[in-house]
Amino acid sequence: MKSLLDRPAPTDAAALTLRRGAARVLIDNWTGTSTVPSRTLYPHQWSWDSAFIAIGLRHLSARRAQRELESLLAGQWADGRIPHIVFNPALPYDAYFPSPDFWRSSAAGRSAGAPAAAETSGIVQPPVHALAAWLVHRADPAESRRRSFLHRVVPRLSAWHNYLLARRDLGGAGLAAVVHPWEPGMDNSPCWDEALRRIEPAPRDAFQRADLDHGHPADRPTDLDYGRYVRLAADYRDAGYDDGAARFDFAVEDPCFNALLIVSERALAAMARETGADATVHTARAEALTRRLVARLWDERAGIFRARDVTTDALVEERSVSGLVPLLVPDLPPHIVDRLLDTLTGPSFTAPATGLAPSYDLRGHAFDAHRYWRGPAWFNTAWLIHQGLRTHALDAQAAALRSAFVTEAGATGFAEYVDPATGRPRGARHFSWTAALTLDLLCAEFEEPTP
Amino acid sequence: MLKTAAQEQLLPGDTLQAKWEFAQEAGYDAIELRGKGDQHFASRLDELRQAHKDGVVMPTVCVDMLHFFGAFDTDLRRDAIDQMKSQLTVIAEIGGRGAQTPASYGMFSRRLPPFEPPRSEAEDRDVLLTGLAELGEHARKEGVTLFLEPLNRYEDHMVNRLEQAADLIRATGLDSIRIGIDSYHMNIEEADPAAAILAHADLIGHAQVSDSNRFQPGAGHLDWPAWLGALHTIGYDGHLALECRLTGDPVEAVRSVPAFLKRSGA
Repeated sequence: MKSLLDRPAPTDAAALTLRRGAARVLIDNWTGTSTVPSRTLYPHQWSWDSAFIAIGLRHLSARRAQRELESLLAGQWADGRIPHIVFNPALPYDAYFPSPDFWRSSAAGRSAGAPAAAETSGIVQPPVHALAAWLVHRADPAESRRRSFLHRVVPRLSAWHNYLLARRDLGGAGLAAVVHPWEPGMDNSPCWDEALRRIEPAPRDAFQRADLDHGHPADRPTDLDYGRYVRLAADYRDAGYDDGAARFDFAVEDPCFNALLIVSERALAAMARETGADATVHTARAEALTRRLVARLWDERAGIFRARDVTTDALVEERSVSGLVPLLVPDLPPHIVDRLLDTLTGPSFTAPATGLAPSYDLRGHAFDAHRYWRGPAWFNTAWLIHQGLRTHALDAQAAALRSAFVTEAGATGFAEYVDPATGRPRGARHFSWTAALTLDLLCAEFEEPTP
Repeated sequence: MLKTAAQEQLLPGDTLQAKWEFAQEAGYDAIELRGKGDQHFASRLDELRQAHKDGVVMPTVCVDMLHFFGAFDTDLRRDAIDQMKSQLTVIAEIGGRGAQTPASYGMFSRRLPPFEPPRSEAEDRDVLLTGLAELGEHARKEGVTLFLEPLNRYEDHMVNRLEQAADLIRATGLDSIRIGIDSYHMNIEEADPAAAILAHADLIGHAQVSDSNRFQPGAGHLDWPAWLGALHTIGYDGHLALECRLTGDPVEAVRSVPAFLKRSGA
């Protein structure tokens, strides 16, 4: 990290140095049309990564930030889904697993509307995109209007939300369900353990992991989990990615996923107002989703939102950072905001060595300080919680989190995630969304409320 | 905040002092001089000294000749080197930072007939390294820097990209030679201008600005925030010197640039 921040001339102001380091990561990881999450571990375009990256990239180049979202949306399926990976066709298949020849999107997904040219995965990630598009637009409205950015992306973002609300309402109660642990973005969270136990893993010799080429095995999901991920994805693929026909052995309503859908519906409303279109449908959806989120996923006793297992129709008895992210939602009942703040600042999520909330309850039975989403603290969830704190005018807590965020991002070389027990960096370094969200916290000077 | 400069011929006014007054009002931090041949730049020494005394900030000079140190013709090459040495001496005398030159301009393009230059690539390299060694040594003695400017493929056939300039500079081993980048040429030649700035951060010494169409910044379609953001990232502390053609009312065009660059992240 030293070389990154110090070249060519050291500067006096720490924030300026950090801003330069973050910008450097984003310039280094830019491919011409989008940004790779990491040059080593993640060489393609990832869906929610691109959204978080665009939120920071807008401060470096509004045009690049727009391109980031546009290139992702170019991989959108005709049924509205935004795939969680858009593959770089210039790379060999073994650059990442599962590779294009596993997903076979253009063939297996043809009837579901997968693009004929771009190869993508068939599953999705959390809907941060409309929020990102709105923030990107706000960064440079003149450039946005010149490029007709909103006119081009808003119909696609609406189709994306329509897909989630129509095809993914697997619980029948009006929330979007995820059908694979990779979809909520927190791949190996203990929240999925029980549901995954029902899944017969794919045999270990049926797949070749690529994540272990660069990642440390202790930081990554286990082989057993990986076998189940492969089984679920293969079954979905073999059903033609048809949400009507597929039999979902794994289906969960995730609080972070749905909270982001709410905020993104509000962003669509804001963008509709900006373009003179009707915003009421999006406002009404956001309100309805908020009511359902509280009714279906709030656990009053535990003071946190829980995931709901659609198969058993029961709340998952685990406390993860996903359950704190709904703090983002502006219209939460005040007592829920209070309870969430208590939980956030209580012993389960106050880590000894980081100001960021760990991904999983520090006192939980499955806590693992190293392993991906089973304990490590992540910068994207910290950014979302920061926005949530600001949304509810919890300014002192927001300022403390912001300060911890930028300090730790710089000290860890913009790490992918942080060990909550030691504060040490884990996973990839020079990780794009960590750099992007650092840049956002350093640069977003204007008062920018959640839409 | 990156500093801006305007080349002297772009500024209204009969004297450097009058031009400086306009430049400051428009938000510029300096004037970039233009150095003609036949020792013309040296003949201006009294004028330049007086301007310097009067507070005109003139950190750099950009050569304004039709032959250069990479010329095919031996005599023209010799003269170009002598002129550049003189310009380096003069800019040092008035407290400036350095002088900018391309390897050549308008002499040959591999993209235009007859496509094959009369000199081999190896001979080109020898000529350029010989010239750079002499100029760089002179700059070092004078305490200033020679800025080598890559031009686009239609204007020069030898040094088009930052990596080519960097390779030559490293081969000389001289700290007194740095790359003088130009946004317009980079837009044509670099796959990713912002990434090129980062890749050659340690060798970038000067920067000239014009838009994708050679007009003033703001008149074309360059991604200025990305380009300027990259310069911020490397801690660039020189000027952004306006070297361009003008579209629209020329005075207003020149006046518009500092504010435009600032809005774009400078």
